[in-house]
Amino acid sequence: MSLTATQGEGARRLPRLSGDWPLIVPMGLLFIGFFCGPLVLLLWVSFHNDQNMEVTGVAMWARFLGDPFYWNVVLDTVMLGVKTVALTVVLGFCTGVIYLSCGPRVRSLMLFAIVLPLLLSVVVRTFAWIVILGNEGLVNWAVMSLGLSAAPLRLLQTELGLVISLAQIELPLMLLPLLSVMARIDPNILDASHALGASRWRTMFRVILPLSVPGLIAGSLLVFASSTAAFISQSVIGGGRLIYMPLVIWQQALVVYDWPFAAVVSIALLVTVLGILTLISALGRLART
Amino acid sequence: MRTTRSFADVSYYAVIGAIGGLAIAILVVPVLVVLAISLTSAASLKFPPTGLSFRWYEALFDPVQSGHIHSAALNSLQVAGSAAGLAMLIGTLAALWLDRHRGAAGRALDTAFMSPLVLPMLSFGLAALIIVTMLRQRPSLTWLTAGHLVVVIPFVIRTVSASLSQLDRALIDSSASLGASSFYTFRRVVLPVIAPGMAAGAFLAFVASMDNVPISLFLSNARTDMLPIRLWGMMESSLDVRVAAASGVLIVVTSVLLVVMNRLVGLNRRV
Amino acid sequence: MTAFTLNRRKFLAASGGAAATAATASLWGTSALASGSVIAAIYPGTWEESFRSIVAPALQEAAGVTVEFDPAYAVDQIAKARAARALPPFDVFVLDPGPAATGAEMGLYQPIDTSKLKNADKLPQVFVSEMAIPVAAQVVGIAYNPTKFDTPPTGWAQLFEEPYVSRLGLTGFQTTFGTTSLIEIAKAFGGSLTDIDPAMEKIKEVLPKIAAVAQPSAMAGLFQQGEIDVMYTNTQTVASLKGRGVDIEFAVPDTGAIAFVTTMHIIDGAENLDNAYAYIDTVISAGVQEALMQEPYNFIPVNSDVPLLDTLPMTSLDAMNDFVRHDWTQINPLRPGWIERFNREVAA
Repeated sequence: MSLTATQGEGARRLPRLSGDWPLIVPMGLLFIGFFCGPLVLLLWVSFHNDQNMEVTGVAMWARFLGDPFYWNVVLDTVMLGVKTVALTVVLGFCTGVIYLSCGPRVRSLMLFAIVLPLLLSVVVRTFAWIVILGNEGLVNWAVMSLGLSAAPLRLLQTELGLVISLAQIELPLMLLPLLSVMARIDPNILDASHALGASRWRTMFRVILPLSVPGLIAGSLLVFASSTAAFISQSVIGGGRLIYMPLVIWQQALVVYDWPFAAVVSIALLVTVLGILTLISALGRLART
Repeated sequence: MRTTRSFADVSYYAVIGAIGGLAIAILVVPVLVVLAISLTSAASLKFPPTGLSFRWYEALFDPVQSGHIHSAALNSLQVAGSAAGLAMLIGTLAALWLDRHRGAAGRALDTAFMSPLVLPMLSFGLAALIIVTMLRQRPSLTWLTAGHLVVVIPFVIRTVSASLSQLDRALIDSSASLGASSFYTFRRVVLPVIAPGMAAGAFLAFVASMDNVPISLFLSNARTDMLPIRLWGMMESSLDVRVAAASGVLIVVTSVLLVVMNRLVGLNRRV
Repeated sequence: MTAFTLNRRKFLAASGGAAATAATASLWGTSALASGSVIAAIYPGTWEESFRSIVAPALQEAAGVTVEFDPAYAVDQIAKARAARALPPFDVFVLDPGPAATGAEMGLYQPIDTSKLKNADKLPQVFVSEMAIPVAAQVVGIAYNPTKFDTPPTGWAQLFEEPYVSRLGLTGFQTTFGTTSLIEIAKAFGGSLTDIDPAMEKIKEVLPKIAAVAQPSAMAGLFQQGEIDVMYTNTQTVASLKGRGVDIEFAVPDTGAIAFVTTMHIIDGAENLDNAYAYIDTVISAGVQEALMQEPYNFIPVNSDVPLLDTLPMTSLDAMNDFVRHDWTQINPLRPGWIERFNREVAA
């Protein structure tokens, strides 16, 4: 299974060049040297039964897999990624549709707004979200002065609040690939759809959406991978009541120094997320055929 | 017919506008909050700010008070710059290869190349430190750059792959059939299409590296102090406003760069 | 060894004979006397800023040694040292008791010869050991926002009653101050050093009311923005936030505040051994300890030549015996279980 969000029709395959292997050599070397090395080491560490890594065995795997609590943590982590992807797909696609209908001046303004969050250091970004989502924060101030609710809404330290704050930093990851794909949609197709009497809704769902799928898939892959791994946002905005895998890894690796167990959780996270990513790209291929 | 049509249009504009507006708000409001905080006259991060002043920007630029922040920022810029540059080169080549190899092997590799983004960076950082030590090496800017490079390269592969999917393959075929060399075809046909993807990927790689805490934590040493780690300490122990001012500087600098780039190359027409 | 004696000689002979020593040194080039450097791990934030501005110049002046700082929290220092065991990443640790005990169990330190430290006999000897030199005391208790409550909280148990409980910010066992505070909470409800059940039961009971269960790194921000108004933390944090205009006060619980010392350790296989001694000696010297005690750093000094400011929570180091102290060799084996339990009990 592949993550290729960019599958073309088989018939449009590039002419196969016999000598194109040098293209992949730098990436291959880098990957083997710098990624497979640490990964193999983690695998090796995970098959130890004690913290000092003297006894080999599968005790840590048994501890992880045999405990419903950790299955729940895995599920929560996956669901966090799914919810963040869902939110960024909806927000991102609609933003993209607006982007398409705008002139170059507005487009560059929008582009600027989209990259802005990336310029905020995570350290101060989480503080800003405390300001926005808190009981005495901006959202609650707006809600209460509009009379929508008598008591402040609880947003901070809830999954909803966390997903919203993650959306900010993940939206650029969704939008950058998405917009580069959407911007190449031929405006004549949209005009044609219109001239043929299709409503704007119909044009959006039947024309723009299918053509945007490669961008949405590429974005979803990035968003899912990075939101499930966003340790700092998860722990600062989500708080101690929400437990995700990166927190468990941090506690095990850096507070109690149980490296075998930390390695088990790391590999479990890797396998789970790669599985989901494979699923997303398979869905993407399905949607295009 | 006509009335339903216009009702549909109104609902379309209302819904798309509302959702798009929400998206822009989510993107921008936290940035405005940080900018507001950075201009506070008070002694600690607080919203709303009690009064306006540039004192924290002055403090941030003052070499006596903030010299170590400057050197950390330079280190971070150097690492992020080299990691993003190398990532753009290596990632683009890999994406081109992957685009031509759609078989099982190609797809498996594509999945594998995404995995650095997924493996918890804390574990990766620790494991990388163990391996670097095994090689009888000490953490250094070079190792740090290599570590960052591995985890930011998926951004480039992903964005370039997405751009490649937009490539009209008939163009390549005709270019080839007209006898153009493959390099010429690449430069004149492929490159213009994937350039925005390369730029977007390199940008994402750069900011991801700039803001990386876990890998820097383990692969940096006393001489290769990194910015986010320093900001983290300032934030946690004393709510130091320079943390917000540092982000403010980055925003202003990038805005200026974007405006300049816009003037020079018309970035907006490309993306 | 030679370098150290030379350095020391220079220091002692600051008035007489210094010129001669310096002249000799210049004959030998710079390496012998103004000898190189030492790499010290340091907590990011207040510790790093104060050490850069006070300790570094003092060490340069006293021993001609340049110190380079590697900013890392205690847990990160241990992880880094353990991962890079063959090539120590720095020469000197600075640790709170929990990680310090862990590092000792892992054998990460080398024995310290206190006779090489001129200021060692000025330290409270109960905290000096073969492996550890105390450099600062810390006092942990309750921090609250005086503008939000009519009366300050008086004890640990009271944190779990209104009006405090609904304004309480809780952290788990991952930090030294969090662990010790939770132990004291357990004691207040009938538990002990090794029995934290009563605390966990109480937390579970009031969990829906608690304002926030947060990571330690988020606490200052939550407090500043009024999301929480009561938490447990150390006096240094309270003083430094207060100095920056945050509405925060420290309250000593009726059962006594918690005290512990932050210690320095020399890493096993240290490259700059003599300079490491010079560094630690400088840190515990009266002049440096005195300077670290002032605003905005607010350290609690451990050198008996330094009279404590009356703004500090203790009158003298002897008073430390009146504070609550904890035996980390008993706590550490239990802590992994506690951390896991805390996760399970508070997980939504």
